[in-house]
Amino acid sequence: MSQIRNLPKHYELARRIIYVLIALAVILPYFFNPKQEFKPAIEVENIYKKIESIKPGGHVLISIDYDPASEAELYPMTLAIMRHCFKKGVIPVVMTPWPASVGIARLGCDEAANDANTMFQKKMVSGKDYVFLGFRPGFSQLILKMVNNLKGSFDKDYYGQPTQGMKALEGVNSLKEIDLLVDIAAVGSVEVWIAYGADKAGIPMAAGTTAVMTPDLYPFYQSNQLMGFLGGLRGAADYEKLLKISGRGERGMLAQSATHVLIILLILGANIRLFFGRFFAGGKGASR
Amino acid sequence: MTDDLQPDDIRIADKAARQAIEMGVLVLLIVVFFVVSFMRQNPFAEGANPAKAIGIIVAAGLTIIMYSFLYRDNPLFKIVENLYVGVTLGYNVVISWRQFLRPLVYQPLFEPPTAEAFWNSLAHLFVPVILGILLLARISRKHGWVSRYSYALMIGWGAGVAIPLFTNSYILEQLTAAVKPIQEAVGPRGLAAANSWEWALYVAAPMFGAVLAMIGTFTVLFYFFFSVEHKKVGAVISKVGIWFLMVSFGASFGYTVMGRLSLLIGRVQFLLHDWLQIPQQ
Repeated sequence: MSQIRNLPKHYELARRIIYVLIALAVILPYFFNPKQEFKPAIEVENIYKKIESIKPGGHVLISIDYDPASEAELYPMTLAIMRHCFKKGVIPVVMTPWPASVGIARLGCDEAANDANTMFQKKMVSGKDYVFLGFRPGFSQLILKMVNNLKGSFDKDYYGQPTQGMKALEGVNSLKEIDLLVDIAAVGSVEVWIAYGADKAGIPMAAGTTAVMTPDLYPFYQSNQLMGFLGGLRGAADYEKLLKISGRGERGMLAQSATHVLIILLILGANIRLFFGRFFAGGKGASR
Repeated sequence: MTDDLQPDDIRIADKAARQAIEMGVLVLLIVVFFVVSFMRQNPFAEGANPAKAIGIIVAAGLTIIMYSFLYRDNPLFKIVENLYVGVTLGYNVVISWRQFLRPLVYQPLFEPPTAEAFWNSLAHLFVPVILGILLLARISRKHGWVSRYSYALMIGWGAGVAIPLFTNSYILEQLTAAVKPIQEAVGPRGLAAANSWEWALYVAAPMFGAVLAMIGTFTVLFYFFFSVEHKKVGAVISKVGIWFLMVSFGASFGYTVMGRLSLLIGRVQFLLHDWLQIPQQ
């Protein structure tokens, strides 16, 4: 902040004008038709095809590794994947190794189950059509234990129902019996799930992360340790498009495109100003 | 009187006038916020869900206060910032107690259904609980050394388990993936498809990518290798390394901007659709 205070007064004003422009670029698209044509990324399509290929009654383990601070980016993709599971009759097994994620994970389960009722006319019952296992600590140790004994790691679900004999977990005793592992993360948990979980259990894995973390996933995608990934709000929008269900991801795309165009224009404008500033100052640096 | 005014007095008067204007605008904004909130989210209206309506009003207010930082740092922002940290900590403590400590530690030891269950729990939990309690000795300067036993076990176990797993997942798997396209290009399948479009698409393109990744890895590592002076050929290699780094930073920056904007979009969606109840197009 001290650096900002030392800047000339018109810089302070320019900063606020930029904020107003960004706010307008985000808000105004919501008052127009937000439909925007875009092609889903191949990384996202891989996850969609994988869930399509799982037989009804199969299991997708979803680890919620984010708290409400990353809700805007990651909650839409959580909903999209869970809706897809419900649509296909695949059983989502939801869990979290972080205490701050419990609330948002439960909300995701409830909302997706309600959506299944209204969208696909399917009544989803906890413990039968899906299961929310809740929170357990000891991240890496927990994953290692799950590789050999999933029900021993979570002896009861979030609502206190014993996992032994639970209909939703029929045929699943360890992580090895899971058809797809999906880690939706705002922390560096994807690498840990790959090393301790997916590689060790020999099961396919996908990830959904905040846009900031997405570039780190490409090496794992290239090596097939990740069969696909969703990057930020765009990833969620891609998945919603494949699912043909309009959600928060798709609705946010026009606002995101508008702000991207604005930022490109601002960068170009600032560079042109810098160039001409130098030109008129005889190449002795930019004028203020 | 006016002639006696010093520059400092004018500055103080200007500051006071500015503060008065800001205070007036703040009061006006608060009034507008409550009027709009009660028009769109009236918790006392017939058929309304008061808990949900009040929750949305509070969340909308906190969101707007957080964004007030863009104008200037202010006491309201500070209050909400501390509230956020406090609520997060409190929530984590409650969830840890309810989901983990109470059912898995407290109840088996202090509320066992039978004596046999108690002895069984004690046998399983005694060592982990003692090691956990030892960690708390860090609070004391005098007895802090006791916690080293727990840390030694954690670090020793962690390293022992992590090293083979990480070597496999991060080094061997990555090396295999880097070499695979080249291996395929010179293998029977690659040679059989030589001089065809298929070869260009499925063999040459991945091979080019693999070679590029190798050049990038080597030049970037060389850039950070300071034992050799970066002169002549070395200067060229490190320059190429800088270019690879710049492309990587550019990609990260682009994704970071996208991520931050997504957070703003999320809040705007909440304010427009949940708080103001503007219908979604």
